[in-house]
Amino acid sequence: MLEVRGLEVAYGDARAVADVTLTVGPGEIVALLGPNGAGKSTLLKAIAGLLRPRAGTIRWEGEDLTRLGAHRIVERGIALVAEGRRLFGGMTLEENLELGAFAPRARSGLRRSLERVYALFPVLAERRRALVRTLSGGQQQMVAVGRALMSNPRLLMLDEPSLGIAPLLVRAILDALVEINRDGAAVFLVEQNVQAALGLARRAYILEGGRIAGEGPGADLLQDAHVRRAYLGPLALGAGP
Amino acid sequence: MRRLGARRERGWAAAILGALALLAFLPLAVQRDDVLNFVFVTLLSITLAQSWNVVAGYAGQVNLGHAAFFGLGALTARTLWIGGTPLAPALAAGALVATAFALLIGVAAFRLRGAYFAIGTLALGEILRTTVSNVLPEISTLPTAAIATYRLSQRYYLALALAALSVVAVALLSASRLGLGMQALREDEEAAEAAGVGALRLKLTALALSTALAGLAGGLFAYYHISYYPSHAFSPSWTFDALLMTFIGGVGTLHGPVLGAVLYVFLKEYLALRWVDFHLLIFGALFVVIVLLLPGGLVQAAARARRLLAR
Repeated sequence: MLEVRGLEVAYGDARAVADVTLTVGPGEIVALLGPNGAGKSTLLKAIAGLLRPRAGTIRWEGEDLTRLGAHRIVERGIALVAEGRRLFGGMTLEENLELGAFAPRARSGLRRSLERVYALFPVLAERRRALVRTLSGGQQQMVAVGRALMSNPRLLMLDEPSLGIAPLLVRAILDALVEINRDGAAVFLVEQNVQAALGLARRAYILEGGRIAGEGPGADLLQDAHVRRAYLGPLALGAGP
Repeated sequence: MRRLGARRERGWAAAILGALALLAFLPLAVQRDDVLNFVFVTLLSITLAQSWNVVAGYAGQVNLGHAAFFGLGALTARTLWIGGTPLAPALAAGALVATAFALLIGVAAFRLRGAYFAIGTLALGEILRTTVSNVLPEISTLPTAAIATYRLSQRYYLALALAALSVVAVALLSASRLGLGMQALREDEEAAEAAGVGALRLKLTALALSTALAGLAGGLFAYYHISYYPSHAFSPSWTFDALLMTFIGGVGTLHGPVLGAVLYVFLKEYLALRWVDFHLLIFGALFVVIVLLLPGGLVQAAARARRLLAR
Protein backbone atom coordinates (compact mmCIF):
# COMPACT_ATOMS: atom_id res chain seq x y z
CA MET A 1 0.00 0.00 0.00
CA LEU A 2 1.37 3.37 -1.09
CA GLU A 3 0.35 6.36 1.03
CA VAL A 4 1.30 9.86 -0.05
CA ARG A 5 0.46 12.57 2.47
CA GLY A 6 0.68 16.35 2.07
CA LEU A 7 3.37 16.05 -0.60
CA GLU A 8 4.95 19.22 -1.91
CA VAL A 9 7.61 19.26 -4.64
CA ALA A 10 9.23 22.39 -6.05
CA TYR A 11 11.82 23.29 -8.66
CA GLY A 12 13.54 26.21 -7.02
CA ASP A 13 10.74 28.69 -6.35
CA ALA A 14 8.27 27.07 -8.72
CA ARG A 15 5.94 24.75 -6.83
CA ALA A 16 4.96 21.84 -9.10
CA VAL A 17 3.05 19.68 -6.61
CA ALA A 18 1.26 21.07 -3.56
CA ASP A 19 -0.35 19.22 -0.68
CA VAL A 20 -1.06 16.01 -2.58
CA THR A 21 -2.55 13.14 -0.61
CA LEU A 22 -3.36 9.85 -2.29
CA THR A 23 -3.18 6.09 -1.85
CA VAL A 24 -2.68 3.10 -4.11
CA GLY A 25 -3.83 -0.13 -2.52
CA PRO A 26 -2.33 -3.57 -3.04
CA GLY A 27 -3.26 -5.00 -6.44
CA GLU A 28 -5.14 -1.85 -7.47
CA ILE A 29 -4.97 -0.06 -10.82
CA VAL A 30 -5.15 3.68 -10.20
CA ALA A 31 -5.01 6.35 -12.91
CA LEU A 32 -3.69 9.88 -12.51
CA LEU A 33 -5.23 12.37 -14.94
CA GLY A 34 -4.64 16.03 -15.54
CA PRO A 35 -3.65 18.60 -18.13
CA ASN A 36 -0.08 19.18 -19.26
CA GLY A 37 2.00 20.84 -16.58
CA ALA A 38 -0.31 19.74 -13.77
CA GLY A 39 2.60 18.04 -11.99
CA LYS A 40 1.85 14.42 -12.86
CA SER A 41 5.39 13.51 -13.90
CA THR A 42 6.81 15.43 -10.96
CA LEU A 43 4.62 13.44 -8.59
CA LEU A 44 5.73 10.10 -10.03
CA LYS A 45 9.38 11.12 -9.95
CA ALA A 46 9.08 12.17 -6.33
CA ILE A 47 7.56 8.81 -5.39
CA ALA A 48 10.36 7.05 -7.32
CA GLY A 49 12.96 9.02 -5.36
CA LEU A 50 14.25 11.00 -8.34
CA LEU A 51 13.11 14.31 -6.83
CA ARG A 52 13.32 15.36 -3.18
CA PRO A 53 9.97 16.51 -1.79
CA ARG A 54 9.98 19.81 0.08
CA ALA A 55 7.28 18.65 2.47
CA GLY A 56 5.02 15.69 3.13
CA THR A 57 5.64 11.96 3.39
CA ILE A 58 5.65 8.93 1.13
CA ARG A 59 4.99 5.66 2.91
CA TRP A 60 5.09 2.20 1.40
CA GLU A 61 3.92 -0.80 3.38
CA GLY A 62 4.41 1.17 6.57
CA GLU A 63 7.97 2.31 5.76
CA ASP A 64 8.87 5.94 5.19
CA LEU A 65 10.46 6.32 1.73
CA THR A 66 10.52 10.11 1.64
CA ARG A 67 14.30 10.51 1.89
CA LEU A 68 15.43 7.31 0.17
CA GLY A 69 17.46 7.34 -3.05
CA ALA A 70 15.90 6.07 -6.26
CA HIS A 71 17.78 2.76 -6.39
CA ARG A 72 16.73 1.96 -2.83
CA ILE A 73 13.11 2.54 -3.74
CA VAL A 74 13.44 0.07 -6.63
CA GLU A 75 14.85 -2.35 -4.07
CA ARG A 76 11.66 -1.89 -2.00
CA GLY A 77 9.52 -3.00 -4.97
CA ILE A 78 8.45 0.22 -6.69
CA ALA A 79 9.40 0.70 -10.34
CA LEU A 80 8.86 3.66 -12.66
CA VAL A 81 8.50 3.62 -16.44
CA ALA A 82 9.57 7.21 -16.98
CA GLU A 83 8.24 9.67 -19.49
CA GLY A 84 10.17 9.44 -22.75
CA ARG A 85 11.24 5.89 -21.79
CA ARG A 86 14.81 6.83 -20.74
CA LEU A 87 16.41 3.68 -22.14
CA PHE A 88 20.13 3.07 -22.67
CA GLY A 89 20.16 3.49 -26.44
CA GLY A 90 23.73 2.37 -27.04
CA MET A 91 23.18 -0.94 -25.27
CA THR A 92 21.34 -4.02 -26.44
CA LEU A 93 17.72 -4.79 -25.65
CA GLU A 94 18.67 -7.61 -23.31
CA GLU A 95 21.30 -5.51 -21.54
CA ASN A 96 18.60 -2.93 -20.86
CA LEU A 97 16.39 -5.62 -19.40
CA GLU A 98 19.23 -7.04 -17.30
CA LEU A 99 19.82 -3.59 -15.85
CA GLY A 100 16.23 -3.63 -14.63
CA ALA A 101 17.19 -6.56 -12.41
CA PHE A 102 20.22 -4.75 -10.94
CA ALA A 103 18.63 -4.43 -7.51
CA PRO A 104 19.83 -7.23 -5.19
CA ARG A 105 16.25 -8.36 -4.55
CA ALA A 106 15.67 -9.01 -8.26
CA ARG A 107 19.03 -10.51 -9.20
CA SER A 108 18.36 -14.13 -8.35
CA GLY A 109 15.16 -14.18 -10.39
CA LEU A 110 16.81 -12.73 -13.51
CA ARG A 111 16.24 -15.72 -15.83
CA ARG A 112 12.62 -16.10 -14.80
CA SER A 113 11.99 -12.38 -15.15
CA LEU A 114 13.51 -12.36 -18.65
CA GLU A 115 11.25 -15.22 -19.70
CA ARG A 116 8.27 -13.41 -18.25
CA VAL A 117 9.03 -10.22 -20.21
CA TYR A 118 9.57 -12.16 -23.45
CA ALA A 119 6.31 -14.03 -22.88
CA LEU A 120 4.51 -10.74 -22.34
CA PHE A 121 6.08 -9.09 -25.42
CA PRO A 122 7.13 -11.90 -27.80
CA VAL A 123 8.40 -9.39 -30.38
CA LEU A 124 11.20 -8.44 -27.97
CA ALA A 125 12.60 -11.98 -27.86
CA GLU A 126 13.42 -11.80 -31.57
CA ARG A 127 15.38 -8.59 -31.13
CA ARG A 128 17.16 -9.24 -27.85
CA ARG A 129 20.57 -8.45 -29.37
CA ALA A 130 19.53 -5.28 -31.21
CA LEU A 131 20.76 -1.92 -29.98
CA VAL A 132 17.82 -0.22 -28.34
CA ARG A 133 18.13 2.94 -30.39
CA THR A 134 17.45 0.91 -33.55
CA LEU A 135 14.04 -0.28 -32.26
CA SER A 136 10.71 1.34 -33.13
CA GLY A 137 9.05 3.65 -30.60
CA GLY A 138 6.53 0.99 -29.65
CA GLN A 139 9.19 -1.66 -29.16
CA GLN A 140 11.19 0.77 -27.06
CA GLN A 141 8.16 1.36 -24.87
CA MET A 142 7.83 -2.39 -24.41
CA VAL A 143 11.50 -2.51 -23.37
CA ALA A 144 10.84 0.30 -20.89
CA VAL A 145 7.91 -1.59 -19.35
CA GLY A 146 9.96 -4.79 -19.48
CA ARG A 147 12.92 -3.18 -17.75
CA ALA A 148 10.66 -2.00 -14.93
CA LEU A 149 9.16 -5.50 -14.62
CA MET A 150 12.63 -7.01 -14.32
CA SER A 151 12.90 -5.54 -10.82
CA ASN A 152 9.88 -7.66 -9.92
CA PRO A 153 7.89 -4.68 -8.61
CA ARG A 154 4.80 -4.78 -6.45
CA LEU A 155 3.93 -1.27 -7.60
CA LEU A 156 4.49 -0.35 -11.24
CA MET A 157 4.21 3.36 -12.09
CA LEU A 158 3.96 4.42 -15.72
CA ASP A 159 4.24 7.93 -17.13
CA GLU A 160 2.28 8.19 -20.40
CA PRO A 161 3.21 4.80 -21.81
CA SER A 162 1.10 5.32 -24.96
CA LEU A 163 2.69 8.64 -25.94
CA GLY A 164 3.76 8.66 -29.59
CA ILE A 165 3.10 4.98 -30.21
CA ALA A 166 1.10 3.26 -32.96
CA PRO A 167 -2.44 2.36 -31.74
CA LEU A 168 -1.92 -1.36 -32.20
CA LEU A 169 1.10 -1.30 -29.91
CA VAL A 170 -0.75 0.85 -27.36
CA ARG A 171 -3.27 -1.97 -27.14
CA ALA A 172 -0.48 -4.51 -26.58
CA ILE A 173 1.00 -2.42 -23.79
CA LEU A 174 -2.33 -1.79 -22.05
CA ASP A 175 -3.16 -5.50 -22.29
CA ALA A 176 0.20 -6.24 -20.73
CA LEU A 177 -0.63 -3.91 -17.82
CA VAL A 178 -3.81 -5.87 -17.15
CA GLU A 179 -1.82 -9.08 -17.11
CA ILE A 180 0.88 -7.60 -14.86
CA ASN A 181 -1.85 -6.49 -12.49
CA ARG A 182 -3.44 -9.93 -12.57
CA ASP A 183 -0.08 -11.32 -11.42
CA GLY A 184 -0.43 -9.22 -8.28
CA ALA A 185 1.32 -5.89 -8.88
CA ALA A 186 -0.46 -2.61 -8.27
CA VAL A 187 -0.39 -0.16 -11.20
CA PHE A 188 -0.28 3.63 -10.93
CA LEU A 189 -0.79 5.09 -14.39
CA VAL A 190 -0.43 8.58 -15.82
CA GLU A 191 -2.10 8.55 -19.18
CA GLN A 192 -3.28 11.18 -21.64
CA ASN A 193 -5.49 8.61 -23.32
CA VAL A 194 -8.23 9.14 -20.72
CA GLN A 195 -10.71 6.67 -22.19
CA ALA A 196 -8.15 3.90 -22.09
CA ALA A 197 -6.89 4.84 -18.65
CA LEU A 198 -10.35 4.99 -17.09
CA GLY A 199 -11.33 1.79 -18.86
CA LEU A 200 -8.45 0.11 -17.06
CA ALA A 201 -8.43 1.80 -13.68
CA ARG A 202 -10.74 1.10 -10.80
CA ARG A 203 -10.02 4.50 -9.30
CA ALA A 204 -8.56 7.74 -10.59
CA TYR A 205 -7.22 11.01 -9.26
CA ILE A 206 -7.33 14.30 -11.12
CA LEU A 207 -4.38 16.62 -10.70
CA GLU A 208 -4.72 20.29 -11.64
CA GLY A 209 -2.15 22.99 -10.96
CA GLY A 210 -0.27 20.61 -8.69
CA ARG A 211 -3.31 19.87 -6.47
CA ILE A 212 -5.75 16.98 -6.33
CA ALA A 213 -8.92 18.33 -7.95
CA GLY A 214 -10.98 15.19 -7.96
CA GLU A 215 -11.03 11.53 -7.09
CA GLY A 216 -13.34 8.65 -7.72
CA PRO A 217 -14.08 5.32 -9.35
CA GLY A 218 -12.95 5.30 -12.99
CA ALA A 219 -16.41 4.68 -14.39
CA ASP A 220 -17.89 7.62 -12.43
CA LEU A 221 -15.21 9.99 -13.64
CA LEU A 222 -15.87 8.89 -17.20
CA GLN A 223 -19.47 10.06 -16.77
CA ASP A 224 -18.48 13.27 -14.97
CA ALA A 225 -19.31 16.28 -17.12
CA HIS A 226 -16.29 18.29 -15.94
CA VAL A 227 -13.86 15.48 -16.69
CA ARG A 228 -15.44 14.87 -20.06
CA ARG A 229 -15.21 18.53 -21.00
CA ALA A 230 -11.67 18.94 -19.69
CA TYR A 231 -10.01 15.75 -20.87
CA LEU A 232 -12.11 14.16 -23.57
CA GLY A 233 -12.72 17.36 -25.55
CA PRO A 234 -16.03 19.05 -26.41
CA LEU A 235 -17.02 16.44 -28.97
CA ALA A 236 -17.03 13.68 -26.40
CA LEU A 237 -19.91 15.31 -24.55
CA GLY A 238 -22.35 14.62 -27.31
CA ALA A 239 -20.84 11.52 -28.83
CA GLY A 240 -20.39 9.40 -25.73
CA PRO A 241 -18.10 6.38 -25.49
CA MET B 1 25.81 -13.84 -16.86
CA ARG B 2 26.73 -13.90 -20.55
CA ARG B 3 26.36 -10.75 -22.56
CA LEU B 4 26.62 -10.07 -26.26
CA GLY B 5 29.16 -7.25 -26.26
CA ALA B 6 31.21 -9.32 -23.85
CA ARG B 7 31.85 -12.01 -26.45
CA ARG B 8 33.46 -9.62 -28.92
CA GLU B 9 35.50 -8.10 -26.11
CA ARG B 10 36.71 -11.54 -25.10
CA GLY B 11 38.11 -11.93 -28.62
CA TRP B 12 39.98 -8.66 -28.26
CA ALA B 13 41.20 -9.58 -24.79
CA ALA B 14 42.62 -12.83 -26.17
CA ALA B 15 44.31 -11.03 -29.08
CA ILE B 16 45.88 -8.39 -26.84
CA LEU B 17 47.06 -10.90 -24.25
CA GLY B 18 48.49 -13.02 -27.08
CA ALA B 19 50.45 -10.02 -28.34
CA LEU B 20 51.70 -9.28 -24.82
CA ALA B 21 52.75 -12.93 -24.42
CA LEU B 22 54.82 -12.63 -27.61
CA LEU B 23 56.44 -9.49 -26.21
CA ALA B 24 57.70 -11.63 -23.32
CA PHE B 25 60.23 -13.13 -25.76
CA LEU B 26 61.47 -9.76 -26.99
CA PRO B 27 64.31 -9.32 -24.44
CA LEU B 28 65.63 -12.74 -25.52
CA ALA B 29 65.59 -11.84 -29.20
CA VAL B 30 66.68 -8.21 -29.05
CA GLN B 31 69.39 -6.97 -26.74
CA ARG B 32 69.04 -3.31 -27.72
CA ASP B 33 68.10 -1.09 -24.77
CA ASP B 34 66.51 1.55 -26.99
CA VAL B 35 63.98 -1.00 -28.29
CA LEU B 36 63.21 -2.32 -24.80
CA ASN B 37 62.85 1.22 -23.45
CA PHE B 38 60.46 2.10 -26.24
CA VAL B 39 58.29 -0.96 -25.62
CA PHE B 40 58.46 -0.26 -21.88
CA VAL B 41 57.00 3.21 -22.42
CA THR B 42 54.28 1.72 -24.61
CA LEU B 43 53.37 -0.85 -21.95
CA LEU B 44 53.34 1.78 -19.20
CA SER B 45 51.09 3.90 -21.41
CA ILE B 46 48.69 1.01 -21.98
CA THR B 47 48.31 0.57 -18.21
CA LEU B 48 47.86 4.29 -17.65
CA ALA B 49 45.33 4.70 -20.48
CA GLN B 50 43.39 1.62 -19.40
CA SER B 51 43.24 2.89 -15.82
CA TRP B 52 41.80 6.23 -16.95
CA ASN B 53 39.38 4.37 -19.22
CA VAL B 54 37.80 2.51 -16.29
CA VAL B 55 36.41 5.58 -14.56
CA ALA B 56 35.96 7.88 -17.57
CA GLY B 57 35.18 5.41 -20.33
CA TYR B 58 33.03 2.90 -18.46
CA ALA B 59 31.54 4.90 -15.61
CA GLY B 60 31.48 8.20 -17.55
CA GLN B 61 33.25 10.26 -14.84
CA VAL B 62 35.94 12.44 -16.40
CA ASN B 63 38.98 12.49 -14.13
CA LEU B 64 41.23 15.46 -14.89
CA GLY B 65 43.56 14.79 -11.97
CA HIS B 66 44.65 11.28 -12.84
CA ALA B 67 48.30 12.34 -12.50
CA ALA B 68 47.72 12.75 -8.76
CA PHE B 69 47.11 9.02 -8.36
CA PHE B 70 49.97 8.09 -10.67
CA GLY B 71 52.20 10.43 -8.66
CA LEU B 72 51.04 9.13 -5.27
CA GLY B 73 51.73 5.58 -6.41
CA ALA B 74 55.19 6.61 -7.60
CA LEU B 75 56.06 8.58 -4.47
CA THR B 76 54.88 5.90 -2.05
CA ALA B 77 56.42 2.95 -3.87
CA ARG B 78 59.75 4.72 -4.44
CA THR B 79 60.07 5.91 -0.84
CA LEU B 80 59.31 2.46 0.57
CA TRP B 81 61.42 0.60 -1.94
CA ILE B 82 64.49 2.77 -1.49
CA GLY B 83 63.90 2.48 2.26
CA GLY B 84 64.32 -1.29 2.00
CA THR B 85 60.77 -2.61 1.53
CA PRO B 86 60.60 -5.40 -1.05
CA LEU B 87 59.24 -4.29 -4.41
CA ALA B 88 55.86 -6.08 -4.37
CA PRO B 89 54.59 -4.66 -1.05
CA ALA B 90 55.97 -1.24 -2.01
CA LEU B 91 53.96 -1.29 -5.24
CA ALA B 92 50.85 -2.50 -3.41
CA ALA B 93 51.22 0.30 -0.86
CA GLY B 94 51.48 2.82 -3.70
CA ALA B 95 48.24 1.53 -5.20
CA LEU B 96 46.58 1.64 -1.78
CA VAL B 97 47.57 5.24 -1.04
CA ALA B 98 46.40 6.34 -4.51
CA THR B 99 43.03 4.62 -3.99
CA ALA B 100 42.58 6.02 -0.49
CA PHE B 101 43.09 9.59 -1.76
CA ALA B 102 40.76 8.92 -4.68
CA LEU B 103 37.95 7.69 -2.43
CA LEU B 104 38.36 10.74 -0.23
CA ILE B 105 37.84 13.12 -3.15
CA GLY B 106 35.27 10.81 -4.76
CA VAL B 107 32.95 10.62 -1.76
CA ALA B 108 32.84 14.43 -1.70
CA ALA B 109 32.66 15.13 -5.45
CA PHE B 110 30.32 12.33 -6.55
CA ARG B 111 27.49 13.62 -4.40
CA LEU B 112 27.26 16.45 -6.88
CA ARG B 113 26.62 15.67 -10.52
CA GLY B 114 28.21 17.11 -13.61
CA ALA B 115 31.55 18.90 -13.68
CA TYR B 116 32.32 18.79 -9.94
CA PHE B 117 34.29 15.58 -10.14
CA ALA B 118 36.34 16.82 -13.11
CA ILE B 119 37.07 20.14 -11.38
CA GLY B 120 37.74 18.50 -8.01
CA THR B 121 40.25 16.04 -9.44
CA LEU B 122 41.93 18.76 -11.51
CA ALA B 123 42.38 20.83 -8.36
CA LEU B 124 43.64 17.84 -6.36
CA GLY B 125 46.22 17.07 -9.03
CA GLU B 126 47.60 20.60 -9.09
CA ILE B 127 47.61 20.96 -5.30
CA LEU B 128 49.56 17.74 -4.89
CA ARG B 129 52.03 18.65 -7.66
CA THR B 130 52.77 22.04 -6.11
CA THR B 131 53.05 20.58 -2.61
CA VAL B 132 55.38 17.80 -3.70
CA SER B 133 57.63 20.18 -5.63
CA ASN B 134 57.82 22.45 -2.55
CA VAL B 135 58.42 19.72 0.02
CA LEU B 136 60.64 17.51 -2.15
CA PRO B 137 62.47 19.90 -4.48
CA GLU B 138 65.54 17.63 -4.72
CA ILE B 139 65.99 15.11 -7.47
CA SER B 140 65.39 11.52 -6.32
CA THR B 141 68.23 9.18 -7.26
CA LEU B 142 68.58 5.46 -6.59
CA PRO B 143 71.30 4.43 -4.09
CA THR B 144 74.54 3.31 -5.73
CA ALA B 145 73.92 -0.31 -4.77
CA ALA B 146 70.59 -0.29 -6.58
CA ILE B 147 72.13 1.34 -9.66
CA ALA B 148 74.85 -1.30 -9.74
CA THR B 149 72.26 -4.09 -9.90
CA TYR B 150 69.87 -2.23 -12.21
CA ARG B 151 68.55 -4.49 -14.96
CA LEU B 152 66.25 -3.11 -17.64
CA SER B 153 64.69 -6.51 -18.34
CA GLN B 154 63.21 -6.62 -14.80
CA ARG B 155 61.47 -3.30 -15.44
CA TYR B 156 60.34 -4.54 -18.81
CA TYR B 157 58.72 -7.68 -17.40
CA LEU B 158 57.01 -5.75 -14.64
CA ALA B 159 55.58 -3.36 -17.27
CA LEU B 160 54.40 -6.33 -19.29
CA ALA B 161 52.70 -7.87 -16.26
CA LEU B 162 50.94 -4.61 -15.34
CA ALA B 163 49.73 -4.03 -18.90
CA ALA B 164 48.32 -7.57 -18.94
CA LEU B 165 46.75 -7.02 -15.52
CA SER B 166 45.04 -3.82 -16.67
CA VAL B 167 43.67 -5.53 -19.80
CA VAL B 168 42.40 -8.52 -17.81
CA ALA B 169 40.84 -6.23 -15.18
CA VAL B 170 38.95 -4.19 -17.79
CA ALA B 171 37.91 -7.33 -19.71
CA LEU B 172 36.45 -8.86 -16.54
CA LEU B 173 34.81 -5.57 -15.62
CA SER B 174 33.17 -5.05 -19.01
CA ALA B 175 31.70 -8.57 -18.91
CA SER B 176 30.40 -8.20 -15.38
CA ARG B 177 27.21 -6.90 -13.84
CA LEU B 178 29.15 -4.01 -12.31
CA GLY B 179 30.50 -3.04 -15.73
CA LEU B 180 27.00 -3.12 -17.16
CA GLY B 181 25.79 -0.84 -14.38
CA MET B 182 28.70 1.56 -14.99
CA GLN B 183 27.86 1.79 -18.69
CA ALA B 184 24.26 2.54 -17.78
CA LEU B 185 25.49 5.37 -15.53
CA ARG B 186 27.53 6.75 -18.39
CA GLU B 187 24.52 6.72 -20.72
CA ASP B 188 21.94 8.22 -18.36
CA GLU B 189 22.57 8.49 -14.64
CA GLU B 190 19.01 9.30 -13.61
CA ALA B 191 17.59 6.44 -15.67
CA ALA B 192 20.19 4.11 -14.19
CA GLU B 193 19.17 5.13 -10.67
CA ALA B 194 15.53 4.60 -11.56
CA ALA B 195 16.39 1.13 -12.87
CA GLY B 196 17.91 0.27 -9.50
CA VAL B 197 21.59 1.02 -10.09
CA GLY B 198 23.17 2.64 -7.02
CA ALA B 199 25.19 5.39 -8.73
CA LEU B 200 27.43 6.51 -5.86
CA ARG B 201 28.67 3.06 -4.97
CA LEU B 202 29.37 2.12 -8.58
CA LYS B 203 31.24 5.35 -9.27
CA LEU B 204 33.40 4.80 -6.20
CA THR B 205 34.07 1.21 -7.28
CA ALA B 206 35.15 2.40 -10.73
CA LEU B 207 37.31 5.11 -9.18
CA ALA B 208 38.96 2.65 -6.78
CA LEU B 209 39.84 0.21 -9.56
CA SER B 210 41.01 3.02 -11.84
CA THR B 211 43.26 4.67 -9.30
CA ALA B 212 44.66 1.38 -8.00
CA LEU B 213 45.86 0.66 -11.55
CA ALA B 214 47.17 4.24 -11.88
CA GLY B 215 49.01 3.85 -8.56
CA LEU B 216 50.61 0.63 -9.80
CA ALA B 217 51.64 2.36 -13.02
CA GLY B 218 53.19 5.14 -10.90
CA GLY B 219 55.08 2.54 -8.88
CA LEU B 220 56.39 1.05 -12.10
CA PHE B 221 57.57 4.50 -13.21
CA ALA B 222 59.34 4.96 -9.86
CA TYR B 223 60.99 1.55 -10.16
CA TYR B 224 62.11 2.28 -13.74
CA HIS B 225 63.83 5.64 -13.42
CA ILE B 226 67.27 5.94 -11.91
CA SER B 227 66.65 9.59 -11.11
CA TYR B 228 63.76 12.03 -11.52
CA TYR B 229 62.17 14.97 -9.75
CA PRO B 230 59.38 13.59 -7.49
CA SER B 231 56.99 16.29 -8.73
CA HIS B 232 57.42 15.07 -12.31
CA ALA B 233 55.25 12.05 -11.54
CA PHE B 234 52.47 14.53 -10.63
CA SER B 235 52.74 16.46 -13.90
CA PRO B 236 49.35 17.03 -15.58
CA SER B 237 50.84 15.56 -18.75
CA TRP B 238 50.18 12.08 -17.27
CA THR B 239 46.49 12.93 -17.11
CA PHE B 240 46.34 14.35 -20.60
CA ASP B 241 48.44 11.57 -22.12
CA ALA B 242 46.00 9.03 -20.69
CA LEU B 243 43.04 11.08 -21.90
CA LEU B 244 44.44 11.52 -25.42
CA MET B 245 45.41 7.88 -25.81
CA THR B 246 42.00 6.72 -24.64
CA PHE B 247 40.11 9.10 -26.92
CA ILE B 248 42.33 8.40 -29.94
CA GLY B 249 41.78 4.67 -29.51
CA GLY B 250 38.15 4.60 -28.43
CA VAL B 251 36.82 5.56 -25.02
CA GLY B 252 34.78 2.97 -23.12
CA THR B 253 36.08 -0.06 -25.01
CA LEU B 254 38.61 -2.70 -24.01
CA HIS B 255 40.90 -2.45 -27.04
CA GLY B 256 40.58 1.29 -27.74
CA PRO B 257 43.03 2.48 -25.06
CA VAL B 258 45.52 -0.23 -26.09
CA LEU B 259 45.46 0.79 -29.75
CA GLY B 260 45.47 4.46 -28.74
CA ALA B 261 48.49 4.01 -26.48
CA VAL B 262 50.47 2.20 -29.19
CA LEU B 263 49.66 4.80 -31.82
CA TYR B 264 50.26 7.69 -29.43
CA VAL B 265 53.68 6.51 -28.29
CA PHE B 266 54.76 5.85 -31.89
CA LEU B 267 53.50 9.22 -33.10
CA LYS B 268 54.98 11.07 -30.16
CA GLU B 269 58.36 9.49 -30.74
CA TYR B 270 58.21 10.25 -34.46
CA LEU B 271 56.92 13.80 -34.09
CA ALA B 272 59.28 14.63 -31.23
CA LEU B 273 62.21 13.66 -33.43
CA ARG B 274 61.10 15.72 -36.42
CA TRP B 275 59.04 18.60 -35.11
CA VAL B 276 60.28 19.08 -31.59
CA ASP B 277 58.56 22.41 -31.10
CA PHE B 278 55.25 21.51 -32.66
CA HIS B 279 54.48 17.98 -31.56
CA LEU B 280 52.16 19.06 -28.74
CA LEU B 281 50.31 21.36 -31.11
CA ILE B 282 49.81 18.47 -33.51
CA PHE B 283 48.41 16.28 -30.73
CA GLY B 284 46.07 19.06 -29.67
CA ALA B 285 44.77 19.39 -33.22
CA LEU B 286 44.42 15.63 -33.56
CA PHE B 287 42.42 15.49 -30.34
CA VAL B 288 40.01 18.21 -31.50
CA VAL B 289 39.52 16.48 -34.85
CA ILE B 290 38.82 13.15 -33.16
CA VAL B 291 36.36 14.52 -30.63
CA LEU B 292 34.48 16.42 -33.35
CA LEU B 293 34.49 13.84 -36.15
CA LEU B 294 35.14 10.51 -34.47
CA PRO B 295 34.06 10.58 -30.82
CA GLY B 296 34.52 6.80 -30.73
CA GLY B 297 38.16 7.02 -31.85
CA LEU B 298 39.98 4.42 -33.95
CA VAL B 299 37.52 1.74 -32.86
CA GLN B 300 34.66 3.71 -34.35
CA ALA B 301 36.65 4.49 -37.50
CA ALA B 302 37.27 0.77 -38.01
CA ALA B 303 33.58 -0.04 -37.52
CA ARG B 304 32.63 2.63 -40.08
CA ALA B 305 35.16 1.32 -42.58
CA ARG B 306 33.77 -2.20 -42.17
CA ARG B 307 30.25 -0.97 -42.83
CA LEU B 308 31.38 0.93 -45.93
CA LEU B 309 33.15 -2.14 -47.30
CA ALA B 310 30.18 -4.39 -46.57
CA ARG B 311 27.87 -2.14 -48.54
